[in-house]
Amino acid sequence: MRDYLTFLSRCVALSFVGGRVYYAWMFLLTVLALVGLNAYARQLAHGLAVTGMTDQVSWGLYIGNFIYLDGLAAAVVLLVIPAYIYRNRALRDVVIFGQLFAVAAVIMCMLFVAVDLGRPDRFLHLFARPNFPDSMLTWDVIALGGYLLLNIHLTGYLVFCQYRKREPDLRRFVIPFVLVVIVWAITIQAVAAFLLSGLGGRPFWNSAVVAPRFLASAFAAGPAFMILTLECIARGTGYRVPREGLMTLRGIMTVALALHMFLLGSELFTAFYTGSAHAGSARYLFLGLDGHTGLVPWIWTAIALNLCALGVLFTPASQNLAMLSGACVMLIVGVWIEKGMGLIVPAFVPTPLGEIVEYAPTLDEVLVTLGVWGLGLLLYTILVRVTVPVLTGRLTIDTPGRGARRAAGAPAPRRPGASQSAEEEIRP
Amino acid sequence: MTIRIWEGKSAGAPGPCGAEPGFTRRGFLRGATGAVGGMAALAAALSPLRDLPDDAFPSLEEFLQKHYKEMTPAELADAMERVRAEVEGRYGVVPTVRDYPPIEGVRFAFALNLSRCIGCRKCVHACVEENNLSRSPEVQYIRVLEMPRGTMDLARGDHHYDRAEVPDGGHYYLPVQCHQCANPPCVKVCPVGATWQESDGIVVIDYDWCIGCRYCEAACPYWARRFNFAEPTIPDGGLNPDMGYLSNRPRRRGVVEKCHFCLHRTRRGEMPACLEVCPVGARKFGDVLDPQSEVSQILRTKRVLVLKEEVGTLPRFFYYFDERYPRDAGSPGPGEGGEAGP
Amino acid sequence: MTRHHEHPDPERPASRPAWLVGPAFGLLAVWFVWFAPAPQIPASGSVQIGKAALGPTARATVKADPPITRVGAYEYRCSDCHRLFQNEAEKTVGRVQHTEIVLDHGLNDRCLYCHSQADRDRLVARDGAGLSYAQIPELCARCHGTTYRDWQRGTHGKTLGSWRSASPERRRLTCSECHDPHAPAFAPEAPLPGPHTARMGEPPAGHRPEGGGPPSAPFVGAGGARGSGEGGAGR
Repeated sequence: MRDYLTFLSRCVALSFVGGRVYYAWMFLLTVLALVGLNAYARQLAHGLAVTGMTDQVSWGLYIGNFIYLDGLAAAVVLLVIPAYIYRNRALRDVVIFGQLFAVAAVIMCMLFVAVDLGRPDRFLHLFARPNFPDSMLTWDVIALGGYLLLNIHLTGYLVFCQYRKREPDLRRFVIPFVLVVIVWAITIQAVAAFLLSGLGGRPFWNSAVVAPRFLASAFAAGPAFMILTLECIARGTGYRVPREGLMTLRGIMTVALALHMFLLGSELFTAFYTGSAHAGSARYLFLGLDGHTGLVPWIWTAIALNLCALGVLFTPASQNLAMLSGACVMLIVGVWIEKGMGLIVPAFVPTPLGEIVEYAPTLDEVLVTLGVWGLGLLLYTILVRVTVPVLTGRLTIDTPGRGARRAAGAPAPRRPGASQSAEEEIRP
Repeated sequence: MTIRIWEGKSAGAPGPCGAEPGFTRRGFLRGATGAVGGMAALAAALSPLRDLPDDAFPSLEEFLQKHYKEMTPAELADAMERVRAEVEGRYGVVPTVRDYPPIEGVRFAFALNLSRCIGCRKCVHACVEENNLSRSPEVQYIRVLEMPRGTMDLARGDHHYDRAEVPDGGHYYLPVQCHQCANPPCVKVCPVGATWQESDGIVVIDYDWCIGCRYCEAACPYWARRFNFAEPTIPDGGLNPDMGYLSNRPRRRGVVEKCHFCLHRTRRGEMPACLEVCPVGARKFGDVLDPQSEVSQILRTKRVLVLKEEVGTLPRFFYYFDERYPRDAGSPGPGEGGEAGP
Repeated sequence: MTRHHEHPDPERPASRPAWLVGPAFGLLAVWFVWFAPAPQIPASGSVQIGKAALGPTARATVKADPPITRVGAYEYRCSDCHRLFQNEAEKTVGRVQHTEIVLDHGLNDRCLYCHSQADRDRLVARDGAGLSYAQIPELCARCHGTTYRDWQRGTHGKTLGSWRSASPERRRLTCSECHDPHAPAFAPEAPLPGPHTARMGEPPAGHRPEGGGPPSAPFVGAGGARGSGEGGAGR
């Protein structure tokens, strides 16, 4: 226990230590988070009227990002399948970073739901009187909470073992939880998809292919995000995962993206070939409806980006890390547009009564969104920051306070709890 | 070659962390200014909260208030007393706030005669007056669609028709409000159970329990729910002091509301406000379990339809036609007043 | 797992730029307090409709039986005048009295189709039987049988007071409380203002032209909605 507290406080202290670029990056994220907080304070003061949402389009950027991050959180963890089930050693470390990201992403998800609430002060009602099992949103709260705890446990345990220089007890503390987390990761994606596809009044969502599409796009965007993260970690710390790990990710990503595009094509065919009245939303999204074309440039950009990424991934050129990173960026942006705004907003246009009111996020809404991303990435950076020295063996239980700095950059801390976000991390 | 970012480039100098023993004064100052600046920015970021209205924070009683269904009669009385005091404080009017439980053995239903409705929107505004709906931002429970003859495709309806005179001969008019579905998707999706169906079929909302997630708005196939994006406003003298706890007491920002068949009126036997004001008698309201009621008669003898039957919501709001074909059907032109007269 | 031990250097942050962190936060604080953008809340142009504009719940009041006309302090029955003035020709045009009445009741275009010539304080059915003014529905029923049947069931007309079929407060309005017997079709009227709820009060820019929707109309009702389907979908 004492070891553990020392470990936590060392982690906290470590998160304040870094080089120039680390400081600049952390400063940037802090500023983003603060700007977001500022915009959120405005939203609290004036109500959700400061957003672009209306009774017609009652969900927007917030829920779009929630859905997107939900997918990322699920996908990065599903990499545990090859890592633990198929004993792919190259992916083990990737999985740790994936799970760390899952922790940050789930917290971002929760924040996105929280900022979308009209009465955040009644947040506790979710636990006081949950509408279970009827409401998919209740399921989602449970799924996200459980997922957060599972990933905190898994990463925390593995990293702490490494810190104490002990072999982790895989059979008791890892493998059972890994099995659960695999199912759970699929569950959070499915539940998020069912959240939308279970609504009979929204034909754009009420389609069985939404859940598979969610999984496919998540499996594409998740590895892409991991590849970029690992690149940054490698550049920042010199800690490199083996190349074959990246190539495994590339393979997963390619197949998932191809599948995703196929599912998208199936939906488009169904919507447009029949010419059904229910295709209003799809028509609005891809072609514009009655001169309202707000999303048309966005969705075609997304499709173009995804197709380009797919093209690059199919060619051997993507074995080059620069090309691969480029493809990843395109894919992440493409999927973000398509799954975030492109999936949420058109379902509300036209409304069930056929009215067309377009939606565009306001400045404050964008700032809050950036703030949540800033806070999440800040948390993720801190988690990675403290994990890398442990994984490289430079921060262990044997590292003495002063010597730690010399050896691994872990100064003996005097101010535990100085960082708010550090409280969330690693808790086996 | 990796560029090492997090761990610095040059070697040898002592570490930077906070109050490390043997730590330089300069480093401490640097950390301190950063911390002070950060705290200042954090506090300043919250400065828009100055604009919060004084009564924006829920009182402790409101915060601790239980769900409507879990309150004892005494607690409910306290809650209504709190509402009374709040309304008096905000609007300077002493209201009567009462709880109207559903009447045993009654199932309400609404029927609307599409052959009669002339699209005058009086129901819309009577509802606003009766139910203390926000005038700005504008909240209305009823939407009237002007539909071209020959289609039931709501996408072809016009919500914003602005004619010198209605009805227009080439159109029919379709008012839509909460259908109080027997299988209500909004109730199913609410994560906190803040909205539920009562035994008389009315779907109600506990405005003090709703968290404002708007999932119900997304779920409703009839676009019947409204969210208070900003603080609702009611002009002086515009407040209806006859209030029901689950119906027309003033709402606050951040919660969802919708038509409740005027339950504070209908549960004491009266007619809904939209029905009373209808100049052509197109609206019918009653108890479907009573075979003599007007709605029962309509369901038995008229050509009745519900909107979006295919989504399986089983609405309690029916539309019907008279047998007689309007005399100017098919001759579009303003002001011919086709359906209006026998 | 590849481990890089080739950089064992202790950590050392860049010291000079770090001095900027505090002041930069301070600047940010200043921006938050004095220069942060105002929230973009659209002005809401809502409409105030008073109760007066909504009109009465019944369009007309029921006439007394027999009807009374007041002229000054005097009350007259119909028969008080019509005892003197008989209209043998049953003409409806060229009237010198009752000129405010516009008779627009379809084929029913003679005063005496409804008013009794024999007893001016009563109404008459086509078969000659007299009816009191309290029996207006029965009078109308002579022609509008199906509507009368609907009215009896409550599926036509308007009921006020209570929805309970046995309630004493319940009052079913009679024909002439809604319809003008001389011109029973409701006159067109100006609709009350439409909604302004798009983006919290802004009226939508150019409301939806009808017929521009997807080519989904199963049958063409109002003229020519179908052809524009594909065109409306284009950008």
